[in-house]
Amino acid sequence: MSGGDPHALESRLISAGVERLALLGKHAETLMAGYACDEVPLEGLSTTALNRLLAARILWRPDEQSGVKLAPKVRELIAEMLADETRRHVNADVAETLELVRTLVQSYREARDAGEYWRQEQQLLRLRQEVDDLNGRFADAIDSLWRRLNSDFGFVSRLGDKIRENERAQKQIVRLLDGLELIDFNELIELVGSDGALRKLLVSGLQQQLTHHYTSLREVQRRLIELMARFRQQQSRSRLVAGMVGFLREHPNFVPGNYAMRSEVPELINRAAPIMPAGAVALDHDADARLAAELLHRLPRPASRPQPVTAAGAAELPEDTQVAARQQALKEDVEGFYLAVVDHDGEGLSALEYLQGSDLEWDEEIWLFQVIAEYQGLPRSEQRAFRLRQVETQASPLNHLYLIHDVQLQLALPA
Amino acid sequence: MIEQGPLLERLLAGDFICAVSDEAAFRHLQDETIREQIDDYLRPLNRRLATNTDGTVYFLSWLRLDEAAREQLSRQLGDTVGSLMPMLEWLQLVQEALGRDGLAAPGDVLKPADFSSRCEDHQGLRERLERLASDPFFGSQSDQLDAQLKQVFKRLKEHGYLQQPHADRQYYVVTGKIDYLIDLVRFIRDEENLPIEDQAPTQQSLL
Repeated sequence: MSGGDPHALESRLISAGVERLALLGKHAETLMAGYACDEVPLEGLSTTALNRLLAARILWRPDEQSGVKLAPKVRELIAEMLADETRRHVNADVAETLELVRTLVQSYREARDAGEYWRQEQQLLRLRQEVDDLNGRFADAIDSLWRRLNSDFGFVSRLGDKIRENERAQKQIVRLLDGLELIDFNELIELVGSDGALRKLLVSGLQQQLTHHYTSLREVQRRLIELMARFRQQQSRSRLVAGMVGFLREHPNFVPGNYAMRSEVPELINRAAPIMPAGAVALDHDADARLAAELLHRLPRPASRPQPVTAAGAAELPEDTQVAARQQALKEDVEGFYLAVVDHDGEGLSALEYLQGSDLEWDEEIWLFQVIAEYQGLPRSEQRAFRLRQVETQASPLNHLYLIHDVQLQLALPA
Repeated sequence: MIEQGPLLERLLAGDFICAVSDEAAFRHLQDETIREQIDDYLRPLNRRLATNTDGTVYFLSWLRLDEAAREQLSRQLGDTVGSLMPMLEWLQLVQEALGRDGLAAPGDVLKPADFSSRCEDHQGLRERLERLASDPFFGSQSDQLDAQLKQVFKRLKEHGYLQQPHADRQYYVVTGKIDYLIDLVRFIRDEENLPIEDQAPTQQSLL
């Protein structure tokens, strides 16, 4: 062994490491500013501090003219810590690790044969760290892939970018799988020989972990391909719709063929006419008759008939004078609407549009109700001067309840 | 068969059944035995179950086509073609207004409130919505943004493209009928040989 006491060397490394790691915390904000943009801002950084950061290879200067940048490893470290998928790298670099493992196993063997236990222990520790690193790189890569997958590549916004990111992720998987292929367990078995500790580390342990990575990678790959198919389908739909809209704009008179008259009617076009199932009470069936009678009793009683039409029906005298005043105001506003119709030269006016276009704040339903009531309250002769049309739809195809959405009022022009 | 009663009723009424409009019924329809039972039941009514290209919606079609059925189909086709432009423009408007990646797809949630806030900030969208709402297919006569949106959503619901899970809450879910519409567009393009490309021009063949 060369160069002094190995223990002293180690403690020197540790203290230097602690010092340099502390630099990261001390200049965290400046470093993150450098992560976010191209260069590290030098304001607020003393020359000494800058030199320390450069010496620790946290920062580097690509050439004399350019500014100071984050070292690639530091950028990668931050991306890993933040799980920042836009900048995270996936790189398992198996070949180099294998090379290193071979070297370390050789040194380990030599140390063992020479009986240098401390050195033997050190080599084993480094081997263990290398294997852990290799595992960690696969685990990180798989984690990064899953995150991108589960967020639907949410870190990019455009579909085209998502498709490209997905392609990139699939290529990464191929590279990772190629990396796994490089690990030849027959070679490793031969390499470790009969050494129990090495066998456990490099054969059984590693094999188990790599099998796990392999399964995960295959699963991510399958899901990425599925997601890609969905992206492509989305893309193709958008293009199809955009294309058809463009075509129809250019050819406003385009009419497709009448596919319904072909001898073979296409499946998509063949949509049968709706049937409304109807039912009635079976009066010849005793049990039904009883049920019908019960239902009949439960029907709500018809409201009492309105007063004869001398006065506007809905504006009955309420007890409360405030309510009466509001009722009167509503009636006057509705009369305003009728006057607007008269002024509108025989064109129809929508009661709702009139309400929305004015400053009036009546509830739409109350407004329509009053417009109808006002009409019904008019003397017959005046009623004939107006035409009232209800805009209504059937509440459900299964019954005959009609809902009034709006009322159109128009002056009835003399024929 | 009795347990399929409500499903049959909906199918006979002309509804499209998809995973959004009726999840349980749609699951039943995945079962071939149930589909056969339903077809048996429908035979005397001259109807059978049909589905779109990807099997994401079910509806009823004629079993045998007579003159009257063909008449009805051509009228229906005419209506659908007439609604094509407003429907497709609406799909594009949704995509742009909400800044989405793709077209509205079954299961997507749409809220009129989101549109009104986007349209208020964006005059171009506002004008497009106004034009669209006044198209006879949507038929809004109002010049108020909220009333126009209300009308557009109401019509889409009536036509089965949207489902409103709670009558008193203003959010809607896109149904599988959108898939049917897209399939129809693709069909028309293919049948009429329209020069419309739906694949990306440069594609690396990864799949």
